[in-house]
Amino acid sequence: MKVAINALHTAQGAAAGSGVPGATTRRPPLRQRWRGSRNLLPALLFLGLFFFAPLIGLLLRGVLEPVPGMGNYAQLFANSAYARVLFNTFSVAGLVTLISVLLGFPLAWAITLVPKGWGRWLLNIVLLSMWTSLLARTYSWLVLLQASGVINKALMAIGVIDAPLEMVHNLTGVVIGMSYIMIPFIVLPLQATMQAIDPMVLQAGSICGASPWTNFVRVFLPLCRSGLFSGALMVFVMSLGYYVTPALLGGAQNMMLPEFIVQQVQSFLNWGLASAAAALLVAITLVLFYFYLKLQPESPVGNAR
Amino acid sequence: MSAVMKDDTRARPLVSLRNLNKHYGDFAAVDNIDLEIQDGEFLTFLGSSGSGKSTTLSMLAGFETPSSGEILVDGQSLVNVPPHKRDIGMVFQRYSLFPHLSVRDNIAFPLAIRKQGAAETARRVDAMLKLVRLEAFAHRRPAQLSGGQQQRVAIARALVYEPRILLMDEPLGALDKKLREDLQDELRQLHRRLGITIVYVTHDQEEAMRLSQRIAIFSHGRIVGLGSGYDLYQNPPNAFVASFLGNSNFLRFTADGNDAGRFEGQAVAVRPTPGLAAGQEALIMVRPEKALALTVEQATREPLPAGWNEVGATVTELLFLGESQTCHVATQGGTPLTVKALSAAGMPMQPGQPVRVRWAVADACIYTEWAKSDLSKGAGAH
Repeated sequence: MKVAINALHTAQGAAAGSGVPGATTRRPPLRQRWRGSRNLLPALLFLGLFFFAPLIGLLLRGVLEPVPGMGNYAQLFANSAYARVLFNTFSVAGLVTLISVLLGFPLAWAITLVPKGWGRWLLNIVLLSMWTSLLARTYSWLVLLQASGVINKALMAIGVIDAPLEMVHNLTGVVIGMSYIMIPFIVLPLQATMQAIDPMVLQAGSICGASPWTNFVRVFLPLCRSGLFSGALMVFVMSLGYYVTPALLGGAQNMMLPEFIVQQVQSFLNWGLASAAAALLVAITLVLFYFYLKLQPESPVGNAR
Repeated sequence: MSAVMKDDTRARPLVSLRNLNKHYGDFAAVDNIDLEIQDGEFLTFLGSSGSGKSTTLSMLAGFETPSSGEILVDGQSLVNVPPHKRDIGMVFQRYSLFPHLSVRDNIAFPLAIRKQGAAETARRVDAMLKLVRLEAFAHRRPAQLSGGQQQRVAIARALVYEPRILLMDEPLGALDKKLREDLQDELRQLHRRLGITIVYVTHDQEEAMRLSQRIAIFSHGRIVGLGSGYDLYQNPPNAFVASFLGNSNFLRFTADGNDAGRFEGQAVAVRPTPGLAAGQEALIMVRPEKALALTVEQATREPLPAGWNEVGATVTELLFLGESQTCHVATQGGTPLTVKALSAAGMPMQPGQPVRVRWAVADACIYTEWAKSDLSKGAGAH
């Protein structure tokens, strides 16, 4: 994912880099500039047929069904139950991002700092957890968190609580489960960024008079920014559209947007409202992606290497 | 500050290293070093890689903790002081600038840490930018500068907070020759102007000679030679320093007394050397440019002056090097010798021709103790 985003970013940068001087100095003939673009045709055809066409079809349904107009969107924002779904979606995504950053940052740092062999093992564990079936991992959280689950039983046995905590079939369960699932997505880009930081720069910081804490805040953290940013954004965007984990660990009364879309389509056959909600999700993602592209070129480490 | 310039003023030691050791397991990276660094001095640690010079510098900076021993600055121990409280400036080999900050902010960083006022910071940063002649580049990022410019930023960053000691770890190693020589001149002038104490690490002996007032030669974690470049070159304290610094010819001879001996059966006179007894094996060291090679005709025309030695040899190779010429010869016993002369003086011999090699007794150093490895050139073929 990170690779894909980076590739896209590089492509953008390259386009901007070659486009600007071309515009100001000598503009090569159009035919020459587009030479070789024919090679793009198969990919464009594929994307057009299997991505853009269904997407446009979906977006059209949002404004055409059941009657043409913006009625579906108005409904989405006006109905308090629907607004609540939106609010849930954003707060869960935000909370999941925050928690996975807080947990992933030390983990990425540890992987970078420990001797190479150990670091690889830690990274393998992270990867392994990512590659294990999503369903299996989500159900195992169900086993751990449910009222008669391991955690509740253990806590009751040692007398910390009297009645089982409600940690599942509500947003708490969703946040716990999703934070766990998202950690690799923050650790991988962050670890790559940290690996690229020259440790001598930190030594330079400390000889310049920076205490370990100042060095962390003023040198290390700014240098991690690009990885932190791309990781956090990826987690946030993925969390907005995540379905399986909220469906299994969440409750019926506190839905997130993807569950809402599924419900509208499967239970009520309300394609119009579902399309509007999906379009909203796409729009939010695009806006976030725009900010990502805007901020990314400033990344010092990414550009230097 | 001006005391630096006068060699006769007895400067007081600013830094003292006492019995300093650094062990990694069984390996002694730094082996019982004692060293006094004078206030305002430009001292260079010279040695090949792995000789312990950089480890010693790291201990001074505080990045490495000594296994035992003391580091004193002004009589105060530094061993338990973390790097950020040592008030030492350092310039790293790979510049290590903060990539996320502009040139100006890089230089201002130490002042920002020290919570200097904005006006004072601006004034000092401007002065530093002027000193390293980078005013025009103040708003660039390090990645947009050349290597030489980056290193000048690093120097400015290390000097802006006016530390008493500046450590430089092979700061010019990554630059090309011309730029390196320019920066060496700048550094020398900077040291003269600021009067700061500089401890410089390099493996380049020419650089060490060019820059420093004193050189400490490191080998296997020890300081094996300490003194001015001139003294170390002209009168190396031991065979290792003689072979490490510049080029040298070693002639193994058997002493007949403390001022004479036989080299491959020929009588040679040597400097009166205490401890040199009859029958003892010892080494004569002659610098190639102190030796003369004469053809047999020249030798008969010019009688041997008093206080000179002469041995016979055969030319093996003659090299023309522009301003100088070197002549490689081998004695009857097979000892290879090198004679170097300015091209203008001329050496009219041919390979295979017999020659007479002469040197003044006063120019030859005598070593009674040496290890075989001392005589093979450790670093830098020049």
